[in-house]
Amino acid sequence: MDIVKIIGVGLIALIIIVVIRQYKPEFTMYVSIIAGAIILFLVLDKVTGIITLLTSLSKKTGINSEYLSILLKITGIAILTEFAVSICKDAGETAIASKVDLGGKIIIISMSIPIISALLEIIMKIIP
Amino acid sequence: MEIDLLFKIAAIGILVAVLHQVLVRAGREDQAMMTTLAGVVIVLSIVIKEISTLFNNVRVIFNL
Repeated sequence: MDIVKIIGVGLIALIIIVVIRQYKPEFTMYVSIIAGAIILFLVLDKVTGIITLLTSLSKKTGINSEYLSILLKITGIAILTEFAVSICKDAGETAIASKVDLGGKIIIISMSIPIISALLEIIMKIIP
Repeated sequence: MEIDLLFKIAAIGILVAVLHQVLVRAGREDQAMMTTLAGVVIVLSIVIKEISTLFNNVRVIFNL
C-alpha cells in the first residue's frame, strides 16, 4: 500500500514542477528536493525493520557485529550521496555531482579498511 | 508533513512570480526583486529544515 503513496508523491511533485517551470524555473529544484526527501522518509520506515532482522540474524550466526555496523554505515553513506548526486545532476551541475560521488566513494573505502585487512589476514592463514 | 509541503512551496513559487510581475508592471523593480528574494528565503528555510530532519533520521537509523 505504501508504494501507492510513493508513486503519488512522485507524480504530484512532477505535476507541480511542470506547472511552476514557466513561472519560476529555480523553484523546480526546491520541489524536487522536497519530493525526494518525502519519499526517502517513507522508505526509511521500512529500513528499520530490515536492520533489526539483519542484526538478529548476525547474532544467531555469530558474524562479528562490528563488520555488520560498518556495512550499515556504508549503505547509509551510499543512500545520502546518491540523494545529493541525483539532485546535482537534475540541476545540471554534473561537475559537483561527480565530486560528491568521488567523496562518497573515498569515505566508503576508508571505512571498509578493517574489513579488507581482516580478509587479507584470513587469506594469509589459508595460504601456507 | 507529507504532501502539503509540496503544495506550500508551489503556492509560494506562484505567489512570488505573480507579485514580481505586478510590481514590475507598477514600475517598482526593486520591490519586485525584494519579494522574489523573500520568497526564495522562505522556501529555502522550509527545504533546509526538511533536509536536516531527513539527514538526522538517516544518521540515527544507520548510526553513522
